[in-house]
Amino acid sequence: MGLIVFDRVEKKYGNREALRGLSVTFPRGKVTALLGPNGAGKTTAVSILLGLSKATKGTVRVGELQAGDRALRERMGAMLQETPAADGLRVREMLQLFRGYYREPLPLDQLLVISGLEQKANRRASSLSGGEKRRLAFALAMAGNPEIIVLDEPTNGMDVESRMRFWDVIKVYAIQGKTILFTTHYLEEADAVADHIAVIAEGHLIAEGTPQSLKSAFPMRKITFRMAGDGIMEQKLLALPCVMDVKMNGHQVELFSEDTDRLLPLLLKSGIPITDIQVHAAKLDDVFQQLTRTYTENRGSIR
Amino acid sequence: MKPFITQSTSEVLRLVRNPFFLLFSVLMPIIFYSIFAMLNGTDSAIDSTTWGAYSLMSMTAFSLIGTAAGQFGIRLAYERKDGLLKLMMLTPLSMSAWVSAKITAHLLVHLLIIAVMFGYSAIVFGTEMLAEQWVMCGLWLLIGSMPFLALGILLGTIRNTDAATAVSNLVYMGLSILGGLWMPLSTFPSWMQKFGAWLPSHVYANTSWSIVAGATADWQDVLVLLGYGVLFIMGALFVLSRSENA
Repeated sequence: MGLIVFDRVEKKYGNREALRGLSVTFPRGKVTALLGPNGAGKTTAVSILLGLSKATKGTVRVGELQAGDRALRERMGAMLQETPAADGLRVREMLQLFRGYYREPLPLDQLLVISGLEQKANRRASSLSGGEKRRLAFALAMAGNPEIIVLDEPTNGMDVESRMRFWDVIKVYAIQGKTILFTTHYLEEADAVADHIAVIAEGHLIAEGTPQSLKSAFPMRKITFRMAGDGIMEQKLLALPCVMDVKMNGHQVELFSEDTDRLLPLLLKSGIPITDIQVHAAKLDDVFQQLTRTYTENRGSIR
Repeated sequence: MKPFITQSTSEVLRLVRNPFFLLFSVLMPIIFYSIFAMLNGTDSAIDSTTWGAYSLMSMTAFSLIGTAAGQFGIRLAYERKDGLLKLMMLTPLSMSAWVSAKITAHLLVHLLIIAVMFGYSAIVFGTEMLAEQWVMCGLWLLIGSMPFLALGILLGTIRNTDAATAVSNLVYMGLSILGGLWMPLSTFPSWMQKFGAWLPSHVYANTSWSIVAGATADWQDVLVLLGYGVLFIMGALFVLSRSENA
């Protein structure tokens, strides 16, 4: 059942359209990843959901309430991209301050544990490292024991160990039945943690489903090779049958295709001088890059 | 009520723990006061009072203007930039509770500054005034610092934090010097005197100078300062409402 519903949401900043009719539903009690390249509109969607900015058109609802309703503040916790640390306050003081805003806050000790800041409780918040500040931001988001947790690029700036610990904590909250929504441009994160993935590009939803269903919907493979000789071959490569996309990096080329068995012999016969040929299953990352790029080029003709 | 108290306490801690606070709000005014008082002689006469009392008012006003307009404004600009303001807007704490906690915290700290300055002057320089003069001056400096908090809110709407810092410092130093807090206005050329007499810093300090001189306060000064306060608040509200719609 959809707890958070975006219905044809548009957002304009002056002439720039950040969201162009985004419709997407986030199920209750699930972990949903909002995945998309930089500039896709993820942060805009999150700030409308949190009531920090208003949609130009369309509605965002959380249960029975309109996004931005004050009653939601008690029920939602969010980690924004900025990592503010009130200068002058210690970690403990800042957590206590935020706990004081809510009717039923989580205990201080628990907040220190989930953020891994037990040893830093008496440090000034502003003296924490970048990754520690991110973890403090998470603890602040959790201070009111929210049922809906919204995380905008949560692991940005965290080291590998913090990331792993962070997702472990999120998984525990997911098991407790909290509704979790996070944005990311790291596909592995979405794949590993989310029950549901919504892919957006240029302010639209372009695909959604479970990680498995998305993977099987795009059975892409890629052929990589080195091109001997110079010359712009990109058009020539794109003209080959079954080529979905070409990525060129100097002489190193990646060809994306759904049918490499058919493509490979045609490629060899094409007369393009190539060496060092390999065929791989495309990574999910490639699939999404390809997906968003195709979308950008065809403006919504795929769906 | 409890969140409000916690919020105010936190804001007091943040203010007094800031190294700039100690430097600009406490040490600098005390050092300048000591220099002025010693150079001119604490007992020498000025405007029917002594330099010791006159420049105590000037330097306390200087400190409070810096704390209220300068540090408040700079802090607000930073809180907007680093996202603390946004984060606060996500919590159940209301915006008005947040702002009034900040103002309460500032007034408490202003009271502390007044106590420290007056205490220093009385103990170190033996400044003597009637009990009601001490109280009236203290109260006036406290209440009169509010329009400068409004100026701080206005300065805090500057988006670029470097610009906010530069402008706030310029405004507070400019107001202090041109308003006659460092050197009495009577030492300036007459056109600067005319200009300076209308500055909020001058009308603010002038009322306390009148009290120490045993004269009645000039109501025009009080009204002018009030007018500035209204102007600053309206300016801030205008800028904020405009940026919200963007």
